Amino acid sequence: MTDAPSLTRRQAALGLLASAVSLSACGKPAEEIVPYVEQPERIVPGVPLRFATSLALNGYGRGVIVSSIEGRPTKVEGNAGHPASLGSTDAFAEAAVLSLYDPDRSRAVREGTRIASWDGFLTALRPRLRRFEATGGEGLRLLTGHVTSPTLLRLMGQVQARYPAMRWHGYEPIGDSNARAGAVLAFGRPLASLAQLDRAVVVLALDADPLGPGPDQIRHARGFAAHRTARWENKAALSRFYAAEPVLTATGAKADHRLAATPTLVRDLAIALASRLGSGRPAPVLPPEAQRFLDAAAADLQSRPGEALVLVGEWQPPEVHALAHWINARLGAPVEHIEPVGPAEPPAPLDALIEALAAKQVDTLVVLGANPAYDASAGFAQALGGSGAFSVHFGPYHDETAALCRWHLPESHPLEDWGDLRATDGTASLAQPLILPLYNTRSAPWLLGALLGTDEATAHAAVRDTWAAQRPPETFEAWWRQVLHDGVVADSAAPRVTPPPSALPDLAPPVAPAELTLVLRPDPSVWDGCFANNAWLQECPKPLTRQVWGNAAMLSPEDARRRKLSNGDVVRLALGGRQIDAPVLVRPGTAPGVVALTLGYGRRRAGAIGDGLGADAYALRSPDAPWIMAGLTMEGTGGRTNLLFEQPDRRLEGEARALFPTVRADELARGESRPPVWPPSLNPDRVSDTHAWAMVIDTSLCIGCNACVIACQSENNVPVVGPDEVARGREMHWLRIDTYDLGPPEDPRPGFQPVPCMHCEHAPCEPVCPVEASIHDAEGLNVQVYNRCIGTRFCQANCPYKVRRFNWFGYADGQEYANQGAPVLAAQRNPEVTVRARGVMEKCTYCTQRISAARRSAEREGREIGAREVVTACQSACPSQAITFGDLKHPDSPITALRREPQHYALLGHLGTRPRTTYLAAVRNPNPAAEEGGS
Amino acid sequence: MSGAGGLLPQGASYGGLVSTVADPLMLRPAGRRYWIAFGVTFVMTLGFVGCIAWLFIKGIGIFGNNTTIVWGFPIANYVWWVGIGNAGTLISSMLLLTRQPWRAAINRFAEAMTLFAVSIAGLFPILHLGRPYLAYWLAPYPNTMQLWPQWRSALVWDFWAILAYLLFSIMFFTLGLLPDLATLRDRAETRAGQVVYGALAMGWRGSARHWALHDSVYRAMAAMAVPLVVSVHSVVGMDFAAGLMPGWQESIFPPYFVVGALFSGFAMVVLLAALMRRGFGLESVLTTRHFESMAKVILAASIVMGLSYLTEWFMSWYAGERAERTFLIHQLTGDDAALYWSMLACNVLAPHVLWFTRARRSVAILIVVSLLVNVGMWMERILIIWDTLSHDYLPSMWRPWYATIWDWAVLAGSLGFFAFMFMCFARLLPVVAMHDLSRLLYRQRGGA
Repeated sequence: MTDAPSLTRRQAALGLLASAVSLSACGKPAEEIVPYVEQPERIVPGVPLRFATSLALNGYGRGVIVSSIEGRPTKVEGNAGHPASLGSTDAFAEAAVLSLYDPDRSRAVREGTRIASWDGFLTALRPRLRRFEATGGEGLRLLTGHVTSPTLLRLMGQVQARYPAMRWHGYEPIGDSNARAGAVLAFGRPLASLAQLDRAVVVLALDADPLGPGPDQIRHARGFAAHRTARWENKAALSRFYAAEPVLTATGAKADHRLAATPTLVRDLAIALASRLGSGRPAPVLPPEAQRFLDAAAADLQSRPGEALVLVGEWQPPEVHALAHWINARLGAPVEHIEPVGPAEPPAPLDALIEALAAKQVDTLVVLGANPAYDASAGFAQALGGSGAFSVHFGPYHDETAALCRWHLPESHPLEDWGDLRATDGTASLAQPLILPLYNTRSAPWLLGALLGTDEATAHAAVRDTWAAQRPPETFEAWWRQVLHDGVVADSAAPRVTPPPSALPDLAPPVAPAELTLVLRPDPSVWDGCFANNAWLQECPKPLTRQVWGNAAMLSPEDARRRKLSNGDVVRLALGGRQIDAPVLVRPGTAPGVVALTLGYGRRRAGAIGDGLGADAYALRSPDAPWIMAGLTMEGTGGRTNLLFEQPDRRLEGEARALFPTVRADELARGESRPPVWPPSLNPDRVSDTHAWAMVIDTSLCIGCNACVIACQSENNVPVVGPDEVARGREMHWLRIDTYDLGPPEDPRPGFQPVPCMHCEHAPCEPVCPVEASIHDAEGLNVQVYNRCIGTRFCQANCPYKVRRFNWFGYADGQEYANQGAPVLAAQRNPEVTVRARGVMEKCTYCTQRISAARRSAEREGREIGAREVVTACQSACPSQAITFGDLKHPDSPITALRREPQHYALLGHLGTRPRTTYLAAVRNPNPAAEEGGS
Repeated sequence: MSGAGGLLPQGASYGGLVSTVADPLMLRPAGRRYWIAFGVTFVMTLGFVGCIAWLFIKGIGIFGNNTTIVWGFPIANYVWWVGIGNAGTLISSMLLLTRQPWRAAINRFAEAMTLFAVSIAGLFPILHLGRPYLAYWLAPYPNTMQLWPQWRSALVWDFWAILAYLLFSIMFFTLGLLPDLATLRDRAETRAGQVVYGALAMGWRGSARHWALHDSVYRAMAAMAVPLVVSVHSVVGMDFAAGLMPGWQESIFPPYFVVGALFSGFAMVVLLAALMRRGFGLESVLTTRHFESMAKVILAASIVMGLSYLTEWFMSWYAGERAERTFLIHQLTGDDAALYWSMLACNVLAPHVLWFTRARRSVAILIVVSLLVNVGMWMERILIIWDTLSHDYLPSMWRPWYATIWDWAVLAGSLGFFAFMFMCFARLLPVVAMHDLSRLLYRQRGGA
């Protein structure tokens, strides 16, 4: 007591005062906080900043522009300057921002199951590195995915130089080994070929899906659109697509002639076509239908030299690729060739690593951006477990491979750190961070730096070093800033090479046709499984099947009938001693004898969203034939599961065909330009005072890729509801892509019809709302006032388009699915858009926040809103530019002309709703010569 | 029009009639059977309250509704209960105006049925709201948002129709009750009974002047009741008919709904009458003659219903609209076709047994028919919602619908609550209008 310093009265008084002051400021955090007294440069609260960066798919870069609001990245959009984006995105790029905030991301270094530290890892690594320096790296192995990053390649080259005996293995579950091997057969070296759809008028896709998901989807979609944009004034020839494929793809859906062909028949078609073009090889005997298809396609291809193109999908064996190269050379096809993008010397295959692991020759294994324990077909997990190697996994999730490795190091999200990537055509682009790493994560250059002995390597320095080395130092800073601004390194595309004359491959003798062939494909939602924990993608209806939250074994209706199987029946698929159980999905358009399954499901350690969904197709995959495997057996297990769809499969027949009109190109040429005609109405006509916003969607161009669906979800804070709620039919997507089969089951000819809110001028939802929550605004928008809505749902009951969505539970408001209510996800929300509460109705707003932003900036600058100034999220995302948005009252608006096109129509226009969202009918361009054979 | 024969017991006296009704109330203690029934309905009522609490906690998502079929059980229950609620006032007023002597024994509990049914019906539109705590926004009150309800919405018409009908029914019921309350006051043997019934009787002394005033007011109100009864269910019909959906957009809906209401309401009255008669030993005043008359009304209504269905089918085909035709095909052959055909069997086929006099006079057969009619009418309500919403214009949004346990629990709970209120009513108020019976007796004896 006596030890305590006694206080003078004044000190005591000051102390009291101090505590009074601090008490009165109750709630102030303990840490120092700095309000925006001095506003940081460039940051205006509420005004998003946009940065160009790059995102990878399969290692290839796609340029994007990411909006950041007060330091939080919220929305991904395309970068018009980037050749793999062209201003558009795909579903994977759009969803990247959700992965950034994924609550299941790995946050800590782990040694086994224990939380460890970065320093702890370095301490464990250093003695090994010292040993490797002595031995030249004997026993050190590096396993990566496909690497195109110049910086990572440079660093890996340095690592290799430091440890010459180190071996680098590469493994990409969706690789391009067939295409590469085909190029070697044809040209003697592995040239990559870039098909130029924008210059092709006749295209034959042999089991190829250029319009399907993949690193080149956007470029191909834009090329496809170039010859499919049928307009009144534009009399240029429309392209004609032929597709022969075992399972229906986006390309097959858009094709004018499609043949459901088994993989063997696809190969035969290629051989027969080559024979027709003078290969001198005997043509195989084709079934009559295939013969008719080939006759029409061959004649068409030959009639357009220089503009005819044959495409072969990665799934086909190398010899078919080689045949296509030979055919394309004969046709003078618009294909460009480049040296392969990526390492100059391809890394060693995974098999070699598995052998080495099994032989206990691996001392240290560093896995960088690969998950072979899940997506390599077999053996890796076993070999690693028994190898006793010092294994290090570096990745964003504590996934299947991480669980097997001794160390797991958390990797930063691409939006959190620096990097660089090359696109499929070799164009380099930079990736810059939008936000500091949310957790204690690091990026790959740091790890490679650690292998090089520098503990403090940063990605920023590494990337700058890579590019500074190629430029004079005095101009580098300016160049660097320009590249960061543009997001793309100018003129960095790989030089086009003229390939040597292509050789005809030696054809292996045809294999005896098997009763059932298994066809594997990348999944349009989760790709190879790396997006499995992304709830937006899981809940995004897959193109064509509209399935969500899982995959299924697709069968043709004939096979299903013969085996008495229907949707949801669980079958056991067995192949070469391996077997899995999968539910059946009967999909018209599948070739009889083919069972198709997508990769990427059956994850065991993806996280709360992706675990345990669907069937793991990797379990059936054999390394020598990764895509097409004959000799499958399939038998019913008697079990059933409930497949989840956002649209039950529906054929349009009879009068219902009016919902999705199609026009033949020759009919269109005779059509007349005319404005829309509406039925008479007693309702007042004046609905817009200032602007009259409208949207036209060209269904000829829509490839059903879902970029718009995810873009809308991301822009408008649309919540995920989860599989149980989808099973009850309560999805929340504001924009759906209705997919109708227009033909018979043998030839379904699906059409895609994106359906956002129609913003009807005479909206049926408005008069029925008792509290005026659904009203028209002065710009002709049909708006929903969330805080006025009491949830009678009369509006949706009375909506003939059923575009409204109801918050049955608080999907974004306290009753979220799984872990999607985690606080970190709040950072993704677009602050311009209300997060809707339980019990209110919501729907497409035409991105009213974007209209507002344009209006504000126009008012500030004292001008009118420009004709193309407002771009909705769906429009911005669309790779084929099928969506046009604008002001009907603006003289230069593109929308007015579109509404006068002969193929223009309003969905359910006869109801008198006067929709502002209207459509251009799908234009088909069938070959008259092949018409009688069923187009 | 029709004589009063068979409506009153042989050799009835005024005192005897009053005793038949009032004694079970005033003198006889409630039996074991009553208390068991009371207990069961009380537990069901508690269950109803529990369901509502859970609904408010968890949200409207506990029901089976989905994005396409946004309405489900609550709205069907609402329409069904309103329909039942229609019959009481209609019976009471229409039969009074048309001087049907058989009205006297059944009008009281039919009116009580109306009150309870309409009150329960009024709950459902609130329970079905996404945000039920904002239901008062339907009312026009001066507010800081400066917003009025949207007068074009059928739901606002509904709000007023229900409110007006409920208020009117309460007044009509109370007015009819006054003389009987005075009788109970006079016969009450406990102080509490005398005070309570006395207060409720509002000083009724039974003077000639009282009777004259009562008679004229009561008749005037009855005249007002008839259009109200027609309006309330017409407006409910317009909830659907004002829409744009195939299967809803039909001008036949208002009259068809009114007849449907009359139909299900009479069926419910038959059920309640049979129960009352058994439970309170009212065989002497609720006679076969009463049942026969009600059976005829049910039969007539059933024929009109059948005609309405025929008209609907014809118009769906004749209008030539694709969605209307596919809707009709879906209705007759789709997922819920079994339900639709059972509905037709219950509503159109079953009542035809009432062509036979013996069937009309058999209480057992009448009970079965009435139960079928009520089940059939409920199915009709749910099918109007399901069929249309699950099969409208765009096939991409066609969905099936499954009820959840909560849908059923709330429906069962509302039935329990209805029965509970009736149990209370039966022990607190005279279930038969004693003064009307006495008047009937007076007329029978040759009075004016």
